Amino acid sequence: MEIQTTKKSRKFKDFADFDNQRQDVGYFLLPFKFHRITPEIEVLVNEVGDFLLVPNGTAYKIVKREIDKEKNFDLYADLIANFFISESKVSPLIDVLATRYRTKKSFLDDFTTLHIFVITLRCEHTCHYCQVSRVTQDKTKYDMQEVHIDRGIEMMMKSPNPHVTMEFQGGEPLLAFDKVKYAVLKAYEEAEKYNKTITFVICTNLAVVEREMLEFCKEYNILISTSLDGPDYVHNPNRPRPNKNSFELVKKGIDLCREVLGFDRVSALMTTTNLSLQYPIEIIDTYIEFGFNSIFLRPISPYGFAVHNEKKNKYETDKFLEFYKKGLDYIIELNLNGTYLVEDYARIILTKMLTPFPIGYVDLNSPAGLINNAIVFNYNGKVYASDESRMLAEMKDETFLLGDLTTNSYEDIFYGKKVQEIAQFWSNESLAGCSDCAFQSYCGADPVHNHATQGSMYGYRPTSTFCQRNMEIIRYIFERMYKDKSVENIFRKWASPKR
Amino acid sequence: MAELKNYSKDGEITVFADAKLYSKEAIFKCLYWYGDKFHTNVSFHNQDTYKITLIPISTSQISTNEMELYLAKLERDLVDFSVRQLVNQETQAIRELLIAKAFANGEFDEIPVGELTDPVGFNVKDL
Repeated sequence: MEIQTTKKSRKFKDFADFDNQRQDVGYFLLPFKFHRITPEIEVLVNEVGDFLLVPNGTAYKIVKREIDKEKNFDLYADLIANFFISESKVSPLIDVLATRYRTKKSFLDDFTTLHIFVITLRCEHTCHYCQVSRVTQDKTKYDMQEVHIDRGIEMMMKSPNPHVTMEFQGGEPLLAFDKVKYAVLKAYEEAEKYNKTITFVICTNLAVVEREMLEFCKEYNILISTSLDGPDYVHNPNRPRPNKNSFELVKKGIDLCREVLGFDRVSALMTTTNLSLQYPIEIIDTYIEFGFNSIFLRPISPYGFAVHNEKKNKYETDKFLEFYKKGLDYIIELNLNGTYLVEDYARIILTKMLTPFPIGYVDLNSPAGLINNAIVFNYNGKVYASDESRMLAEMKDETFLLGDLTTNSYEDIFYGKKVQEIAQFWSNESLAGCSDCAFQSYCGADPVHNHATQGSMYGYRPTSTFCQRNMEIIRYIFERMYKDKSVENIFRKWASPKR
Repeated sequence: MAELKNYSKDGEITVFADAKLYSKEAIFKCLYWYGDKFHTNVSFHNQDTYKITLIPISTSQISTNEMELYLAKLERDLVDFSVRQLVNQETQAIRELLIAKAFANGEFDEIPVGELTDPVGFNVKDL
């Protein structure tokens, strides 16, 4: 017997259900934006980041009501189904669209997650791009005092977020491992009291790691995030230290972490320098040799001491983009040939493009991730809006200083006048150049970057390196996806939460 | 009235825009993106026509050939930004409603009521 279903059991209406609706007025527009991807195609993006890749000129035809329901049946159906047009003035699915919008902004729901504790500024490396570290034995001057650690944990427990991350940065945190231990034990105890779950992360170059330290990390489920800049001939010049053996030490360190903590408990980040720009393929190959299944091809930040070392650090955005595209193309080829490797920057953007969910990446959110998602407690008790803000402070620029752990309350710091001032510039929906940009929902606002590079938190998009970089990377991702279905399949796999 | 032609001449780009077709908002939003390379100016050629001029800033170093390309780009961008402006105008109310609903926490969920169906077939309104 033939199985029949009734419409009541279906989630979506049949297309035929729209047939008799308001033919007299044609269709109504829903909010959307568009951008040319190549001379042939443009992308239409709706308010929640859904997109359609269509021939150039389609947006114009839509607005001029030249899309005919019968002659352009497929496009018309796609436009209806993806909330670009509606056959009634208020779409019957307005509540669904509103829920999807709320979901896209749900990274705001619980406020600050990431609490960065700069546990010491001391470091035994002298990386030319590092903005903050000091080669010194002076613990009193450059290590975080226990009173500041206690107050930082108190602030962290006041976050409305039921899940917080406590990240130890430096300098080199393992040089102050006694302070790390103190902080972990204290935070662990407090988290139980306040019924919060807590994730611990130590950002370390692993040069001074010892088995006993990792045993402690194992006991408290501490994740290790290390630095790996590529093969030894890139990593060692990027990260000078006595004996010039940074690469050898990080290799040993990663092996030891995997042995004690487990294979996936250690991840690596790379920093791009002028030297790195020559070796995208070799850097990626190094990550594969080390057994990592992802790599983050990230640009160097323009803050702090790095700005003063122009010859080594201030490379053109175009050169970075060339490096990035070469790297991304190579990673795609690897995936097509059966090696699973994800490029993390593309993954962040693809998650925004291809899923209904937001992603907690501080630099690409609107409202911005600073304060809303991350906060920095510096070694000296000062509180900054983001990691980049404290780097600016090293250049004597205290614009993003929010307060002091010993003298200010949670409310002073998180809801104070400084935050209100920054908040005027942290949504790309209200910035000139961004407000009409089709990539708005994939990109973010970065008032710290604007201030550091252009002298105002508002910024100026035509000369913004942040804008130039993100516009081209997003455009390129669309282009690759459009031109090759197999690339789209890889991208969808990267964006899938069950990867 | 003779048709006004856009041109690039003597290191200057001049474009005319019919004020009945191009809004002031669309023109300024378009010119915003040229400010890194050009001094931009908008004036009335006559009461129905805007006159837009672009003059390269001293550090731009733009060749004559590139000036022609920028002329074509400006003409195209003016159309694009006009289309964007039309979408903005027509959808402003629905966008405000959408965002109000998204963050209303139930306050304005009823007005206007969306049409919900449920995949398992029961009537949502009876719940």
